[in-house]
Amino acid sequence: MRLNRRSGMLAPVQPGPVMSSDVAELQELLAQVALRDRAAFQELYRRSSPKLFAICLRILKDQQEAEDALQEVFVKIWHNADRYAAPLASPQAWMNAVTRNLAIDMLRRRRPGGGEMDAAERLADDRPGPEEAAVMRSEGRRIEACLAQLDPDRAEAVRLAYVEGASYVELAERFDVPLNTMRSWLRRSLIKLRECLTR
Amino acid sequence: MIDDTSRQDPPELDPRDIATAGEYVLGTLPLAEREAFRRRLLAEPALAAEVTRWESHFDPIADEVRPVGPPPTAWPKVERRLFAAPSDRIAAGAARLWKLLALGSALAAAVLVALLWLGQPDRTEEPLLWVSDMVSADSSVRLTALYDETDGDMRVSVAGTPPSPGRDFELWLIQGDLAPISLGVMPHEGHTQMPVPPDLQTLVANATLAITDEPSGGAPGGVATGPIVAQAEMRRI
Repeated sequence: MRLNRRSGMLAPVQPGPVMSSDVAELQELLAQVALRDRAAFQELYRRSSPKLFAICLRILKDQQEAEDALQEVFVKIWHNADRYAAPLASPQAWMNAVTRNLAIDMLRRRRPGGGEMDAAERLADDRPGPEEAAVMRSEGRRIEACLAQLDPDRAEAVRLAYVEGASYVELAERFDVPLNTMRSWLRRSLIKLRECLTR
Repeated sequence: MIDDTSRQDPPELDPRDIATAGEYVLGTLPLAEREAFRRRLLAEPALAAEVTRWESHFDPIADEVRPVGPPPTAWPKVERRLFAAPSDRIAAGAARLWKLLALGSALAAAVLVALLWLGQPDRTEEPLLWVSDMVSADSSVRLTALYDETDGDMRVSVAGTPPSPGRDFELWLIQGDLAPISLGVMPHEGHTQMPVPPDLQTLVANATLAITDEPSGGAPGGVATGPIVAQAEMRRI
């Protein structure tokens, strides 16, 4: 019996950024999930899990914890899809927020102290290069424009907190300022940002 | 599409609350403050609205996070957690018991004890799943394959450094002394679903999976030519 065979080229799933043309489809999927449609739920998982898993990985920096978080995220999405309020946020933004919230909760509940400095040092290498920043969606320009008006260090602190889940301890170490100074920096930056964003 | 609420009249919030809401969304609030703030959100709709605004404002920053396909083991866990919880199976067992009780026969009552045991969740009732987690020696490539015996489907996730230009990773099934059997060319990143042909399904259990570095499109003639990038046995989970 000759068993060698080729099953041909596999079609890769492209986990590219969700473009605005997909917004209506994601909204429809979430609406179906709210009605307990399992097929829609699986499709939503197929489309959204690479992005949400990546968010968990960046914040938790641990494969197993990120997998656990992803599982929690989809359990939450299944139970709370009916709470998604379409006019307030895009479906992707809503799922991203659910994911970040959960990953940050896990991160902050982790034993304090351990590995914080290592994590902070790792942050520097993960930042996007200029070419990645250039492909950001147009919706991002407002936050980008407002971040650009801040002192570069402070804008970077906001970005590190958002993407990497950096704590005040990590940020204070990274920018070499006392913890309290770091916090008042960031709070003042947030108020400035908010003024710019609503202008 | 992201959010236009910021263009509506913003509610009069104390700037300190605006900053704290921003800290909450960024995730920098220390845990105790984070939990206290979350309790406030339940009682203060204006504050909750501020949180939603921050989430929408910040969301474009998430674009810089490049998607990473989760391991294929992740979805079955979600499914089992939501749809095949042990309580479901206990409920099914209980339903059978009630049916029997409705018969009202002494014999039925006599077998109840046995059924009480049979009605318990039983791992052997679950479909057999096999997983192979292949990581290259330098950890730069990771490929996880999950095989479900019930439908002959294999789900594969690929992460890490893609093959060089003009090259592809190819997945092989190695069973005993048989020549490696190609299962196909892998995507460079993300995850994919590939049915295992029926005549190969009996070979998957306890097999070894391996990936090799092959010319674009896969090894010519279905015989591996490139070096093995990573390999791992299939373990039953």
